[in-house]
This record gives sequence, structure tokens and C-alpha cells, in this order.
Amino acid sequence: MQRRDRGIAQSLGLPLTKCVKESRVLLVGAGGIGCEVLKNLVCSGFGSLPGVYGAERRASIDGVEHVPVSSKKPGIVVVDLDTIDLSNLNRQFLFRKQHIKKPKAFVAKETASQFNPSVNIEAHHASIFDSQYDVEFFESFDLVFNALDNLAARRHVNRMCLAANVPLVESGTTGFNGQVQAIKKGVTECYDCNPKPVQKSFPICTIRSTPSQPIHCIVWAKSYLLPELFGTSEEESADVAVTEGDNAEEVAKLKEEAEALKNIRLMMGKSEFAQHVFDKVFHDDIERLRSMTEMWQSRRPPQSLSFDGLKADAEDDLVKRGQALSIQDQAVWDVKDDLAVFAYSVDVLSNRCQAGETVIEFDKDDKDTLDFVAAAANIRSHVFGIPLHSEWEIKQMAGNIIPAIATSNALTASLCVMEGFKIMRSQIGSSTETLGGSKMVFLNSRSTERLITTQSLAAPVPECPVCSPIYAKLALPGDGGEPILQDLVDMLREKVGYEEFSITTEAGIIYDPDLEDNLEKPMKDYITHGNKFITVTDEGDEGKVDLVLSTIVRSEAQSGLQLLPDNITLPLKPKKAVPDTNGHAAGTPEPVVASAANSSAGAKRKREAEDEVESAKKRAKAGKQEVHVVDDDGAILLDD
Amino acid sequence: MNGHGALAAEDAAGETVAAVALAQTISADEIALYDRQIRLWGVQAQERIRSANILLVSLRALGAEIAKNLILNGIGSLTIVDSEPTTEDDLGAQYFLREGDRAVAASPRLQELNPRVAVRVDPTDIRTRDQNFYHPYDIVIACDHDFDTLSIINAACRIAQRPFYAAAIHGFYGFIFADLISHDYIITRERSNVVTTVRPETPTRSVLAVSTKKENGKNIEMVTKREIYSPLLLANTSPLPPEYLKTARKRRTVTPLLPCLRALWDFQRTYSRLPTHVHADIATFTTLATHKNAELQLEKLPSEFLRSFLQNLGSEIVPVAAFVGGRLAEDVINVLGKREQPLQNFAFFDGDGFVGQIYALHPIFPETDGNANGESDGIGGTVSVMVL
Repeated sequence: MQRRDRGIAQSLGLPLTKCVKESRVLLVGAGGIGCEVLKNLVCSGFGSLPGVYGAERRASIDGVEHVPVSSKKPGIVVVDLDTIDLSNLNRQFLFRKQHIKKPKAFVAKETASQFNPSVNIEAHHASIFDSQYDVEFFESFDLVFNALDNLAARRHVNRMCLAANVPLVESGTTGFNGQVQAIKKGVTECYDCNPKPVQKSFPICTIRSTPSQPIHCIVWAKSYLLPELFGTSEEESADVAVTEGDNAEEVAKLKEEAEALKNIRLMMGKSEFAQHVFDKVFHDDIERLRSMTEMWQSRRPPQSLSFDGLKADAEDDLVKRGQALSIQDQAVWDVKDDLAVFAYSVDVLSNRCQAGETVIEFDKDDKDTLDFVAAAANIRSHVFGIPLHSEWEIKQMAGNIIPAIATSNALTASLCVMEGFKIMRSQIGSSTETLGGSKMVFLNSRSTERLITTQSLAAPVPECPVCSPIYAKLALPGDGGEPILQDLVDMLREKVGYEEFSITTEAGIIYDPDLEDNLEKPMKDYITHGNKFITVTDEGDEGKVDLVLSTIVRSEAQSGLQLLPDNITLPLKPKKAVPDTNGHAAGTPEPVVASAANSSAGAKRKREAEDEVESAKKRAKAGKQEVHVVDDDGAILLDD
Repeated sequence: MNGHGALAAEDAAGETVAAVALAQTISADEIALYDRQIRLWGVQAQERIRSANILLVSLRALGAEIAKNLILNGIGSLTIVDSEPTTEDDLGAQYFLREGDRAVAASPRLQELNPRVAVRVDPTDIRTRDQNFYHPYDIVIACDHDFDTLSIINAACRIAQRPFYAAAIHGFYGFIFADLISHDYIITRERSNVVTTVRPETPTRSVLAVSTKKENGKNIEMVTKREIYSPLLLANTSPLPPEYLKTARKRRTVTPLLPCLRALWDFQRTYSRLPTHVHADIATFTTLATHKNAELQLEKLPSEFLRSFLQNLGSEIVPVAAFVGGRLAEDVINVLGKREQPLQNFAFFDGDGFVGQIYALHPIFPETDGNANGESDGIGGTVSVMVL
């Protein structure tokens, strides 16, 4: 034991220290939480020694004989897709100004390697969705840390860890809040055991006809006007949806309006382009709306504007004035200022289009598109009597920017690694508690009584479509041999004992007892990436639990498909006591409000629940009930 | 935070901080750099943060985490006092360190974190400094030192009228103490149905003023509050608030870290060192801790905890330093920004049991018996707090 390990050895004890040093861990994300997690891992000695018994420890998975491809090599692997931005530097402390635009994974490795000479970090500048990160890649780790900023990647890693049967430490922060959750297949709830909030979308008529809040005008500028003029309007934005409340007649009328705008687009490049667009959307369309008197019985009718009327006493060079104003992003421009910025940004974006950029999409860090959206949103707000905002404020709303600070990231990341110690303690058998006493932990920054709130980890939700299935691997030959769907169907009948069943990929059903059209198609058509999942559902009367196959593409020669393990006996599905409420209901999904405010309320409810409950048994039960209440509003915490 | 008129200009530290204070208001570059945090606390709070001069005493694992967070957040200047040489033990948990004097050796890497912050090193022994030394700083943070040193710094800060924090970690365990003397802050929130009135909220906190405004159709209220504090010397002998002592279950929720820390400070005062694993030390420490536990009117001290606490003494592990240091830095930022409830006044963190509790420990003398029931809203007027 080197002297620099003294603290760790003293506090963790020798067996756990040894385990930590011989471990192989994966860190997904090198952003706000990721930088801090990496520092904590490196300074705690994770993966800093060559190990010998790593392979033995993982010899048995689910009681199935399993021979690892290679014995585990101690180390820390960091995967991140992103590059460094100026606004990262207030918290992502492994990066400096000179690193801007460089890959986060590489710079994080470079800086953190200096913290401990014996550490072994492997950096990947790549997406965790890439085919190289298949189930066998995940199986090569003792522990996985998620330090991600989006739902899709969180769900993906959750699923990969379930498939590989590797414990996962999931985390997130927003503003002063933060949370950490330990996940292990069959032991705890998984990330998807509780429904997650869906993206908020607005009814089309609110956006196009009856805005009442600044965000409605921002969405209009960003998701309607900008794409119609400079992007592709074919695809409807996810921000806007036709809902039951929308008037069909009005929706048809709005389609016509959009068509008319397309004709104006043809004028792009001419000096009067900005004026034509302005008069179309802020005069003609507004006048049409205003004429629909029944719409304004309980609302303030909009006041149309005309380009010339607004420009009348303004300076001659509107574009120049707009350019000067656009730097003042903290100030709230008046409507004449907005006209100038509008004219300026239309000019700049038109020039970009003329220069060959065929599609310009909104990007909060593309200043030209932000100028356009801010000016157009404000002019529309003025028309509808809605308060105007500064470009800086509009950027936050248009770009879904989540406040992020150094301290919340540091606190959350420190808890992640402390969870890691606990999980490792359970792996070497020196703890009898669930995952070594791991907990669901929340930061409590505004409490006068607690720094953190904890909650016992709940058992898996029996109906969870993600973690209740049995996971197995399906190996496909890399080249040579072209297995077809029929081969998979035959194999499943033989090895798993299915009679009537269906096969689903992420794209949809490819086989069921009434769908045999695809049987001759090559399996490769369905497996575009090695990490895609295939779900097999028993359609028989009794109903076995689902089987999820994670696919691996073998580089070496292999004849046909191979199922790992070779024989699988599926248990029957647990009897459901209550009807499944997780399924897709027919109506429109409830819009979900921002997570930050609710998560603190959720944490408070949890804390109160814990305080009230006396016995451990009761506590476990209450904790489980609580989860259903709170997790649908509080579980998605984003870390930018 | 205090004004900058009272700087000791002949002092080098004073010159540095005066120069920082003279710098013009926040630039567009800074707004871009601090974008994600300004979106949380606003430009005004950021301006207060950027003009703040902070003194940090002792740069070990905990101090490094505090320094890192404050520098990243963009304070005006950070002065680090540490006279200790780097030992090989330090290198494990103190990742900014290289060979050499601790503060001097770490400062280039701390400075790299944010070139806008004036990072200054003072490799002298803090115990040689009087109250004038503390005057140029808006907040003083002291880590790692024993109780007597912390108390002396605290007393000097009281005379200089400067807010004071103390903190330490021992392996999985850590504490934060705050003596902000008297701190005013403004909570901005949406108005609820319950009217906020000017009155005491707790024995240490009172509402001084309430004003309202309308914003985006919402009724917003701005509540000016004041927290008053006690020095470490008194907090260390103060009882737990009565609400923690009402039932055996409540008493059991109090972390044994509190009596153990008090016992540790007593032990250090007598022996000028940490307890070791020899039998005599363990026996002495156990007696002290049991005594402190009884004084606090708590249930029996769990021997398992006692063993673990002793095992962790003197150890530094980075995740725990990151938690305690991160939370302390967050409080400093909140105090500078004057927009959030500050820590009142003792926080304990147990990274092994995942326990993080805050107690308001003050020499409080109930005027009427049995009435100080600690309901957060109902005890105005029945208790008084002694403030030095």
C-alpha cells in the first residue's frame, strides 16, 4: 500500500480498498457530474492496480455459467460525445479556456490522469449508442456511473446495465437540486420502473392563434416561423401538436397561412424580403385572426403592426441598428428595437441561405437564429399584449437551458462515488444490506434541517416492461452466413420452448403468429447496430415473462445464430392485481411541468413520509407507495 | 458582505483585494462564462460574488474542494493561509498538490481553474495573526484546525465583524459550523395563501420586512429575513433544540457524530493530538463521548459508531471532502448572494450512513418552561438568544 492511499485504506478497510483498486468502472458522460465523478474515482484509486480475481468474481451470472471474453482489466473508461463550450467552465473543472471545442472525454482524461500516477483511464469520444458498446462491453465492468444530460441515453444505459447485469449509479442535477440512485437488475427498481415525464408540447391553436404567455410566442418563432423561412417545414415540430382542443377549421386555415408564407420565401435575397415577411405575419395574419370576433370575446384581441408604420421615425439603416442592438442581450428591447433586430437577423440568415446553407435550424448557440427568434417572439408578444423579454431570457426558454452550478454537481458526484463504495462492499460480501446499504439520495439545499434526504431502494416493479423480462444475448455472425428471421423463430422454439409468440424490435413487431411475411428476410435488416434489443413475447394462454435479446455481432467466424445462454427456461408472468396503468392510454398525454420545482416538493413529501413512519417494515411499504407519486414528476433531473 | 472602504491598504492582501474591488462591473464575457449559474441566482448576486474577498485557512483535501468551488463560481479573490509542507500522505487526497509548501504548491493549479479570480497564498502560521488580519475579507473559512485555534479565529472574526465558517473531515465523517454574526437576506417567492408577517420565525430567525410585486401575472413576495448566530465557543456547549429531545425516537435520529466531535475536541485540547488505537486512548475517548452524549440528553451511544469514528480519525477521502467542501462553498455563495437561507449553524455529514443533519445549537434560555416546543412557526417571544 503506497502512502498516498493511506486515507482510502484507513476508511474503507483493506478488502474494500483492494476491490476498488482492482475494479473496472465505466463513466458515461464527462460533463458537470462526470468531471467530478472522474476526479473522485481517480483520487479514490478506482482501477489503479492490475487485478487477478476480477474474472472469478463474475464467473456466474443468474446462476448461468459464463466465461468472460477477457478477464477484467482494472481501469476507468470514460465515454462522452460532447466537446467543450465556454459555458461549461463554471463547473466542469477539468477543462480550461484553451480546451474549448476539444472533446470532453480526452481533456478529462488528460487533466485527471495528473491526480494519481497509477490510474488507468481510457477515453472514448463517442456516443454510448454506438454499436461497439454492446452488452459484452458493459459486462466487462464492475460498476457503471451515469453522468448524462438526457433521457434517451439514461434509458439506454439503464437497459444495457440490466442486460449485462452490472450495477448502475444513476444521477442528475438541476440548479441547487440533485439526486443519486443505485440500480441492479432483480434487486432494485430500474430507471424505467416509474414513468418519466414526456416532453411538453403546446396545442397548435395556442401557438398559432391565441398565445397568452411569452413561451407561446417563442415556440411560434422557433418552431414555426424560422423553419418556414429558413428550414424545412415538412416535419411538424415536437413542441407543437394538434390536440383535441384544437378547432379543425382553424387548423385548416393555419395550413393555408403557412402555404402563403412559402411563397414569400421565394423572395429571399431581395431587399424587401424582411418587410414582406413582417407584414405577412404581423399584419395580414393578425388582421385575419382579429376578424374572428368569437375568438376574442374573453381575450384581448391582437393589435397588428406594419413594417412602415413601425419604421416611420426610426433611423435609416435598420439592419445596422439591429446589429448593434443584438449585442445587448441583457436589455429588454422595445418593439422598434425588435424590428431592427428582426430586419438584421433576416438579412444575415438570408445571406447564409444564399451562400449555400440549405437548412438553418434553431440552435441556442447559433447567435443569428437566436436573434431572429428573440426579435420575432418579442414582436409577436407585443402584438398580443404579452410582456417582452431580453434575448438572454429568451435563450433560456427557447434552448431549454437548465441552470447548473459547480457545487450541486460536486455534491451529487460525491454521493455517486460513495454509493459506489457501498455497491462494491456488497460485491465482496462484507455487507448484508441491499447493494451494501445504497440509497436513493436527494440534495436538500434549502432545508434548515437536512443536507440530504434518503430513501430505501425499492424492489423492482413486477410489471416494469424494461427490467421484468429475462435478458439473454443473441450472437450474429459478423460476416459469412446470412441468418434469416426464420432461423431466429426456429431457434426460439427449440431453445426456449415457445409455441405462439411475437418478436418486436425497437421499430415495431416483425413476427407474430399472424405475421409471417418477414420470415425470409435477413436478420441484419433488423439489427442495424449491435446494441439493439429484440423482445420476444409469449402469446400463449399462460404467458411466460418476456425475453429480451441483446445482440452482439461477432467478428470471428460463426455459423448461424447463437443464443447465450444456450437454453433458457422462462418463468410465468406474475399475476396482476390491478389493471396496467402504464400502457398507452388513448387520450392525449398530460403535459408535464418543469421538473425542478416538483422534485423539491417530491423530496419534501418523501422526507415527511419517512419521518412519520415508525417501523422499518412500514417504512419500506410507505416508501414504495411514495415512489409512484413522486417519480413521475421528479425523476428526470437534467445536467447540462 | 461588507463594503470595501475599510481595507488595510498597507497590507499586500489589502492591495490585491482593493484592486479587485475597483474593477468595473460584470462584462459580457463574464456573463457568457457564468451563464448557467447567473440563470440560477441573477446578475446582481453574481456581482456580489465577484467582488467578494475570501480567506481560506488550511489547504488540505477539504480546503482544496472549497477553493475549487469558490474559484469556479468567480469570487473576487481567494487568499489561502497554510504554512504546512506537503507530505506524501497529502498527495493521495489533495489532487491540486505537488511537492513543496502546501498552499504554494497547489496555487498554480487552483489559479488555472479561473484566471479572473485573484488567488493569493500566505504561507504563515494563522495563529500568529490578530483581528486586523481578518478585516479585508468578506468571509473567513477555517478548516482542519483544532478547537482552540478555530475558536481564536472565530473570536478575531467577531471583533473584525466578519462571518466565519469552520469545517473538517475525518474519513467518512465531516462537519460545517457557521457564525455569520447577523445575516440579512431576501427570499423571493410566489405568494401563498398564508400571509407572511413581520415576526420571529425561530429563536434565531426573524422576518424583518415583506414587500410584493406582480410578475408575469404571479404575485411575488420578497421577504427580508435575518439570522443571528453564536460563536463556536458557545455553540459547542449548547443543548440541542427541544424538538429533538421530545421522544426516544427523535433522540435516536440525532447523529452520534455530534457528541463524538465534541469529545474529539476535548481530547485534542488535553493531549494536543488525535486519539490512536491504543487501549488507553480508546478508553479515554469513549468516556468523553459518553459524557458528551449524556450532556446532550441523547440515547445510548452506539459502540459500532464509536469504533467507526475512531477508525476514520485523521483520514482524508476525496468524495467526502467534495461533499463537505461543496456544501460549505454553496453556503458561502448563498451568503454572498443574499438570496437563500444560510446554514444555521452546525451541519454534520456521515458519508458511510448517508446522514446529513443540521442543528441550530445556541445557548438558549427558555423563559417559560415546557413552552418552547420548537414548532418552526409558533415560538416567537417565548425564548431569547444570547448573542455576544
